Amino acid sequence: MGGHAYVHGVGAATPTWRVATAEIGAAWGRQGRTGSVAVCAPDEDPLTLAAAAATAALGAAGLESGEVDGLWWGCTRPPFAEGPSHAVLASALALNPRAGGALMSGSPHAGMDALLGAADAVAAGSARTALVVVSDGLRPGLGTAFEARTGAGAAALVLRGEDGPASLTVRVTRSQPQLDRYRGDGETDTRDLYDARLFREEMFLPPVIAVAEHLAALEPRAWSLPDPDGRLGRTVARQVGATTVPSADVYAAVGDTAAAAPLLGALPALDAAGPVAIVGTGGGRTTGVLLEVDTPVPGATAAARAIADDGHVASYAALLRARGQLTPSGETIPMGVPPESALFARGAEEMVQLLAGRCADCGTLNTPPSIHPTCIACGGSKLEPVPLARHGVVHTFVVNQTMPAPFVAPLPIAVVDLDDGARVMLQVVGDGTGLEIGSEVDLVLRRYAHERGVPVYGYKSQLSAGGAV
Amino acid sequence: MAWNKVAVVGAGLIKMGELFDQSYEDMAAGAFNAAVASVDKGFEPKAVDAAFVATQRGTLWGQEGIGGNTVPTAIGLAGIPCTRIENACPSGSDAFRVGAMAVASGVHDLVLVIGVEKMRDKSTEEGLLSRAASGHPIYTRGETAPVLFAPFATRHMYEFGTTREMLAAVAVKNHHNGALDPYAHFQDEITIEQALAAPAVCSPLHLFDCCPQTDGAAAVLLAPADRAHEFTDRPVFVAGFGVATDHPYLHEKSSFVGLQATVDASQRAYAMAGVGPGDIDLAEVHDCFTITEILDIEDLGFVEKGKGGVASLDGETSLTGRIPVNTSGGLLAKGHPIGATGVAQITECWWQLREDAGERQVALRNGFALQHNVGGRGSGVSVVNILTRNA
Repeated sequence: MGGHAYVHGVGAATPTWRVATAEIGAAWGRQGRTGSVAVCAPDEDPLTLAAAAATAALGAAGLESGEVDGLWWGCTRPPFAEGPSHAVLASALALNPRAGGALMSGSPHAGMDALLGAADAVAAGSARTALVVVSDGLRPGLGTAFEARTGAGAAALVLRGEDGPASLTVRVTRSQPQLDRYRGDGETDTRDLYDARLFREEMFLPPVIAVAEHLAALEPRAWSLPDPDGRLGRTVARQVGATTVPSADVYAAVGDTAAAAPLLGALPALDAAGPVAIVGTGGGRTTGVLLEVDTPVPGATAAARAIADDGHVASYAALLRARGQLTPSGETIPMGVPPESALFARGAEEMVQLLAGRCADCGTLNTPPSIHPTCIACGGSKLEPVPLARHGVVHTFVVNQTMPAPFVAPLPIAVVDLDDGARVMLQVVGDGTGLEIGSEVDLVLRRYAHERGVPVYGYKSQLSAGGAV
Repeated sequence: MAWNKVAVVGAGLIKMGELFDQSYEDMAAGAFNAAVASVDKGFEPKAVDAAFVATQRGTLWGQEGIGGNTVPTAIGLAGIPCTRIENACPSGSDAFRVGAMAVASGVHDLVLVIGVEKMRDKSTEEGLLSRAASGHPIYTRGETAPVLFAPFATRHMYEFGTTREMLAAVAVKNHHNGALDPYAHFQDEITIEQALAAPAVCSPLHLFDCCPQTDGAAAVLLAPADRAHEFTDRPVFVAGFGVATDHPYLHEKSSFVGLQATVDASQRAYAMAGVGPGDIDLAEVHDCFTITEILDIEDLGFVEKGKGGVASLDGETSLTGRIPVNTSGGLLAKGHPIGATGVAQITECWWQLREDAGERQVALRNGFALQHNVGGRGSGVSVVNILTRNA
């Protein structure tokens, strides 16, 4: 390696729903364990989580998205199986269209691939600022052993070549040509392949312990260790003498987040000085890295809070519906404008970047630009695309309780006056609890529909942490 | 304005409801025959010079497109000039306006204006706006019909202290009137308690705050005023009309306590008729939801802005009130077969101005009735027609 890659900021995001693991086990006649997993609501997926974590990391690093030279995204199962996953995320983050990077995928090892890819680019000098995002929200096979462990979440790191609070110093990798959890082409759900004992003894423990022992020699202060079944993490920790394992708390809070798990499990440890060992495994590969933390990394404390968030308790049935594993009989109502419509080609950027057309004559913000060749206030025809403010106040709202599938009631919709003077009307995240005229909201990227196999993204309002004004 | 005076010489409608046993064509024929039969001195159907058909959307019963040629064949007048008018919820009232202009211009003499809408051939889930798919795919996602009006209720409650009870008072009054109207979809009275206890449809709107999905048709016959005596000794005249548009998305509205399109359309109609809100004896207004009627009576100038809820609760808009509103039962009780709605409202005005409205008859002081619709994307289209019995 030429130079080092330094961590300048981190961010995390967890989905809004929590489902009790006991409830999932009980559905299959198994004794449930305690704890819960964080899972995506119908309007969340690995892309929306990635956007939230990346935004938090950039904010923590004090960087504008335009300064990012490349996005390295690790995700076992990106939202477009074959499609513009990387480009949509980059656009939603308002990265420079010339920014590079890569989408790493195919197994939970993709998270480590993304980290190393970005670090290499920074070390080689091809990227001055690299954004690493790892996110996942797998769809486990029904009744599989890891169904009750499958969570969702995202972590993001900003890497730069210039000196920063933490640096990536050591890496070690082992490969073995064996299957572990598996999903074939054309299969919709990830499934168990092996007997649990066979997996433990042959696929998991040998490479993970080999990599972890290598790092243990460097005496890490804290560890992020893989824990696919709720027991294996402890076994590894015992074997290598790891005593401070904050990743265990992260797994307990959100479940196994696959490609996101190694970095997400490490973030809470980045708020104090000392070496942090991170091990990720999947797809026949196991990688360990050492992050040398000199001073607390900006964003680490906020990330820990995001991970510990209680979320909204949802039922197993709601989870199945959100994952598309429980579907109504009969037809659902299709979108009037299908994703293959030219409207989605014309409006691609304005929808994921939340753009308005600002009138050069009177300053009015016209939303969205593609349907406003003329200013609604003054009739001016010189309109410049600008991003809308992402924060505002509710002017009025409704909670829709009566809709056909695929809509799920209750669906709050609010008219919001944004800080820049624009007015928008958008769906509101959640069931409307606490929503009032005057409530402060933030606009967040959400999946509005999954139409004919295509995810459709746009912004929704979400009650700000502060609540009403 | 140099235009020839226009008379309504006949009007009629079919019983509104879930008309599973009638086709679109059956309904059109029924309404046309009712209008012809209403003409005091008789009307030869073949005398119709031209027709304007209001049908808001054929897709509600599986037809992508409906031109002007379906209705003439259905009513035995194939070959006549006929144009379909589509202008959202005011389609029927706008067809009336266009038909009146055709007569006023002297281009046509005897004009049929007919509204026909089939709302119940398809399932409720596939019905109007339940697809929640009108307009921009993101900015209107989840926008079923009540979402177009419920935000106004939320804000009106916030700014003026309007209550759910005041909304319910509108429903109770209109169901009362509907119970007296043999053509109404619903003919049962309801109580405030029933309305308040009904399930939420789109908060703050509950079941009885919402009009039903109704099949229906209505027709009126227009003639130049100087020929009206050939058909009746009690004609009703077109005093004025106005149409107005507003931005098509709710987020483009500056106010959520009123509908600017209604204000603008009514001011144009009042100016044309040379009257003001105080001259109107009764009004048939667009009450697709209870809040809409409250907005309407304010925007049309019958009550001060913000006082619509209180006025409704106080009975100012009842049959014996200061300004009777929706004597037919309105959209809430009579039903809202979209293209037919405006024409059916005109028919109610025709009955009232001729004092033929039976138990629903209101006292006439000045001889003017007002008919109003508002709707479309962002509730941004409104039409107001003013009728008079004064020669």
